[in-house]
Amino acid sequence: MTLKKTENSFQIAANRAVGDLVRFENVGLRYGVGAETLADVSFSIEPQSFQFLTGASGTGKTTLLRLIMQALKPTRGMIALFGQDTSHLNKEGLTSLRRRMGIVFQDFRLLDHLTTFENVALPLKVQGREEITYRAEVTELLSWVGLGDLMHVTPAVLSGGEKQRASIARALVAQPELLLADEPTGNVDPSLARRLLRLFVEMNRSGTAILIATHDLSLMDQIDGARRLVLADRRLHIEKSND
Amino acid sequence: MTDAIRSKPTGLFGFFKSLPLFRRDPMVAADPVTDRALISVIAIMTFIAAMTAGAAQFAASTTARWQVLMASEVTVQLKPQPGRQIEADIVRASDILRGTSGVTSVRVFSRDESAKLLEPWLGSASTIESLPIPRLIAVQIDAQRPPDLAALGKAVSDVAPGAGLDDHRNWTKRLGRISDLFLIASLSALLLVLSATGLAIVFATRGAMAGNREIIEVLHFIGADDRYIAAQFQRHFVMLGIRGGVAGGLAALFLLVSFRILGSSALGLLDGNGVDGLALPGAELLFATLLVILLVGLVAGLASKITVHRTIGRLA
Repeated sequence: MTLKKTENSFQIAANRAVGDLVRFENVGLRYGVGAETLADVSFSIEPQSFQFLTGASGTGKTTLLRLIMQALKPTRGMIALFGQDTSHLNKEGLTSLRRRMGIVFQDFRLLDHLTTFENVALPLKVQGREEITYRAEVTELLSWVGLGDLMHVTPAVLSGGEKQRASIARALVAQPELLLADEPTGNVDPSLARRLLRLFVEMNRSGTAILIATHDLSLMDQIDGARRLVLADRRLHIEKSND
Repeated sequence: MTDAIRSKPTGLFGFFKSLPLFRRDPMVAADPVTDRALISVIAIMTFIAAMTAGAAQFAASTTARWQVLMASEVTVQLKPQPGRQIEADIVRASDILRGTSGVTSVRVFSRDESAKLLEPWLGSASTIESLPIPRLIAVQIDAQRPPDLAALGKAVSDVAPGAGLDDHRNWTKRLGRISDLFLIASLSALLLVLSATGLAIVFATRGAMAGNREIIEVLHFIGADDRYIAAQFQRHFVMLGIRGGVAGGLAALFLLVSFRILGSSALGLLDGNGVDGLALPGAELLFATLLVILLVGLVAGLASKITVHRTIGRLA
């Protein structure tokens, strides 16, 4: 009976989440039998919004991102993505949700045996599209991120900043509704960090909701109107935008 | 061009590189050393399998030809009987045989020819001159419309008491049994070789998937489903299987065809009458080799499919 009631309350929450890209309701996560890494995390991400996820090192920024990208399952609470409760998600459903997200990994995660072009085109290729249908748009995107001349090289010859831009281009190429970026400017100099941030702002203007995990305060100060989701003491606090 | 900078190959080389058999697999990070080792193992297995299939096919067709040859000839043996003229009995028996419908030719072995046949066991013709040597009549019969052999045997023994007709049935049966045994042994060997190939593919697929774990994770995150990822690995290993299969199959085919060419002349020299009765590998061999290559490809596909689907769930 209690289980049924809990399921119903989750469904009600999920229904309320229709319209939100991401909704967390009292989410908690515990690794093994230790204390909770995240506790009672509740927040939502609206379409076309821009927010930073911040907090000191080890507070769970990457863990929270991994919960959103469904690489981890919460120990308790409810996560809804694109209006869909993820607790009973099957493999097909998970794939379809992930296709609506773009992910920029802290360590880039480019495939070393593929060229920049092949890496960036990967999200389109795995959807079954033929190269002829996306060659022009991938080439244009690569030029936009300043990698037009490095299309046919493998990541081995790219600098940290170039790898980061390739990683961002890969996350953007399928025009996702939500972009998750984990410390996207962590490996680049301040000037490049500003350029990369401009890329995210451009994407946000064209309709993509952005969530950037960073502990770089100066980076956050550059964007007016962005929400700040602050992780501290295992909990999430939402700070108003500074505009 | 360094390894880190790639451009698409053009011209004839580019055409071959674009064929599925030679195309680079974009998703699976190939390990050239492992891939080459696997191709070599599969090539050796295919070679053994194709040679086994070739040998089985050779034995089967040779036995079948021998059986036909034996079935189209019967032998009448006349033992010397006290009080009877064997030469007269031979003439009477030959007349009966020649007059029988279904008999195509009759050849009487002379006393010297019969003695020569016994020479390996009894010594030179002069030594056995005084012995009562049985005489032979070789009778060719029409295999399509053979005579009633039981009635023919009785008719011959009526005119020449002590004569017996041997239709070689016992030999034909034994030959058939040996051929069946050889075929079963060959098929068992083929099955074992295919199983070993399958196991090699299973271990290689597992190793490759473990080595590509990071790639599989990234592919999942960017929206690839299990079916897509599985297809990439399957394609990679089926192609390796076919490449190894083609290499091993062609080597076996080359060797077997060489046997045919060299064997024909060698056997022809050894046997003054040529190689009558020996069915050396021909068009059926090509078919058998192609079948083995196809089987290796099929085994590679099945083994990698099962392994990929079992492993991918765990990695996801």
